[in-house]
Amino acid sequence: MKVYERLASAFAGEGVSHIFGMMGDGNMYWMDALDKLTDVKVLEVRHEGVGLGMADGWARQTHTPGVCTATCGPGVTQLATAFVTAARAESPLVAFVGEFPGTDQDYIQRFDQSRFAAACEAGFVRITSPDYADEAVRKAFYLAKLESRPIMLSAPMDVQQMKFEDEEPYKPSSTLLPARRIARADPDMLAKAAEIIANSKKPVIVVGRGAMWSGAGDAVVKLGKRIGALTATTLRAKNWLADNEYHAGISGLYATKTAIQLFEEADCVIAVGASMNRYTTEHGYLYPNARYIHLDAKAHVMMGSGRAADCYLQTDAKAGIEDLEALLAKRSFRSTGYRTGEVLERLSNQFEDRTQFEIEPGTIDPREVCRVIDETVPGSIGLLTGSGASAGFSTVTFQRPRPFLHAAQFFGCIGQMLPAAMGMCVATGNKPTLLVDGDASTMMHISDFDTAVRYKMPLLAVVLNDQALGSEYHKMRAHKMKAELSTIPTPNIGEIAKAMGGRGRLATTVEEVRAAAAEWVANPGPMIIDARISRNAITIAHRRVLYGKDE
Amino acid sequence: MIEINEQFEVPSAAPPFVWNLLSDPHAVVGCVPGAALGEEHEDGSFDGSLTVKFGPAKVTFRARIDLDLDQSAMTGRVTARGKDNQGGTRFKASMSFKVTDNAENAGTTVLIKGENEITGKLAGIVEAGAKIVIKRMAAEFSENLAARCAGANTA
Repeated sequence: MKVYERLASAFAGEGVSHIFGMMGDGNMYWMDALDKLTDVKVLEVRHEGVGLGMADGWARQTHTPGVCTATCGPGVTQLATAFVTAARAESPLVAFVGEFPGTDQDYIQRFDQSRFAAACEAGFVRITSPDYADEAVRKAFYLAKLESRPIMLSAPMDVQQMKFEDEEPYKPSSTLLPARRIARADPDMLAKAAEIIANSKKPVIVVGRGAMWSGAGDAVVKLGKRIGALTATTLRAKNWLADNEYHAGISGLYATKTAIQLFEEADCVIAVGASMNRYTTEHGYLYPNARYIHLDAKAHVMMGSGRAADCYLQTDAKAGIEDLEALLAKRSFRSTGYRTGEVLERLSNQFEDRTQFEIEPGTIDPREVCRVIDETVPGSIGLLTGSGASAGFSTVTFQRPRPFLHAAQFFGCIGQMLPAAMGMCVATGNKPTLLVDGDASTMMHISDFDTAVRYKMPLLAVVLNDQALGSEYHKMRAHKMKAELSTIPTPNIGEIAKAMGGRGRLATTVEEVRAAAAEWVANPGPMIIDARISRNAITIAHRRVLYGKDE
Repeated sequence: MIEINEQFEVPSAAPPFVWNLLSDPHAVVGCVPGAALGEEHEDGSFDGSLTVKFGPAKVTFRARIDLDLDQSAMTGRVTARGKDNQGGTRFKASMSFKVTDNAENAGTTVLIKGENEITGKLAGIVEAGAKIVIKRMAAEFSENLAARCAGANTA
């Protein structure tokens, strides 16, 4: 047996079912060996970074390692933006890449991949010899899971061709990891947290991805009722628990004016599985009068304001909230807090954005596009929002609770959500998936819409197309610069989808958007709706930061 | 750096009358939207606070305010420096005003020039909006001051 064959069976031994990536001579032997293993499916993409982005989407959806592959050197350099994005998203991921043969230092595709991985904030494991092959694969998966981050597994081409002579079956990384243990908070700190809550009148519970992952939903609702809390989410947990009363929506710049006014009154913020970064707290300015209780699985988290919580509990989110609830129940503590008819009334109309803009002929108000898509696409279908200015419309407008809602903005880059959407689509067993992104973002990896077509993904990409780099356009306009420099005409993106074998529609009216979306809902497949939106409509976030508007 | 240039007229009021109003720190600070004057220190400076609305969010700054008056030239300079309650944002502001004769309406012209600098965490959030907010505040300040002068004159 050759090393590359053993490496292929080791991936199967890790339970890998799907690998996203592109072939080159640095990984083709390994891919050929994988093809002989019937339980691993390889999905070929048009750009290595898209393969990694799909693995990232897989990881965000399943919380199990996504796997991608690229050849050595130039295949690896293509991974940069996707790697950093996955690292910031804390996605467990293993990227199997070739590496130039150590015996040929002048090889044309030579590249210092370990330094590159470090700069991309990824872990790095090199398969230095046949004897190390098993351990290297095991370590890559172990680190990806343990540290919840992307790992580059680098396989020099000469080592791949060496003989592997061990007959023993591969031992997967699961043999290294201890059985999952529910971490519980220190009792003294729990008592301190309960004391802070019992002495507060206006508590807000902010839930993040950590709360979702630990299944803390019911516990949060129960605690919220007891202490009279307003609940809010991070951007990442948008619309989670939104069915419950006294849900204020997102905490951050995307919060409604009503929510911001209510947050200002808070004297206690209970953060659950949320990093409380600068965006969630607006550098702390969103909660000027609050004491913080912070529950997270990490040893400690410094908040975006540069401060630490008044009481930090290292705990599983669900267990921590249940423990707090039990303590407060023991004290028979119950408080009305925010839970009054007046607050409920204020919250009931909070999402209405009535500001009018002069919409240019042949374009649609982007908020209308989002509203119609949210209405037309059933709530059983998961949503991904995009990046750039377009996300400002979709994040605020989409309100329907959905099985999942993934937002971008991990690295402030564009172009990463089409790959993520494709990875999630595969991860959910090809369930219909909805992506709403901008035009520049969609065009960046439009070549890989072909991948969605080849694998018959029921993916609807709605493009909020203002034919510009929207964020820059609006910033340049506010700064009185030549905003036209940020405009780029696009072709009819619906036609591109059709040329690739998918379906596509150009929409310049809201009725056309509705009809196109209904067509996809009736028969989901790979499809793009190119919705031409007005450049005059400004997101609430931009109205606030660029124009100081109190909206 | 955000610069302010404002000017307002107080018709039918002589410059010394307007000057007397403007050289009272309580009167001046009372015209700054969101500002409150605190204790006076031995060196003549004051503690103060300023609450600014950036979009729907409110930020309160604590500041040390100095007032430097030149009675004979009828010019004054207010400088303030401070930080917000959480310490993440600092600001420096200076504003000079000059009271001059306006022959046309037998009254007074007040010229206001100011420079504001915000550094730190908030600066990143508010972008172009800070400029608009501060200019809006300066215009409001100027209006309030004009109204106060006019009110005192007719009283």
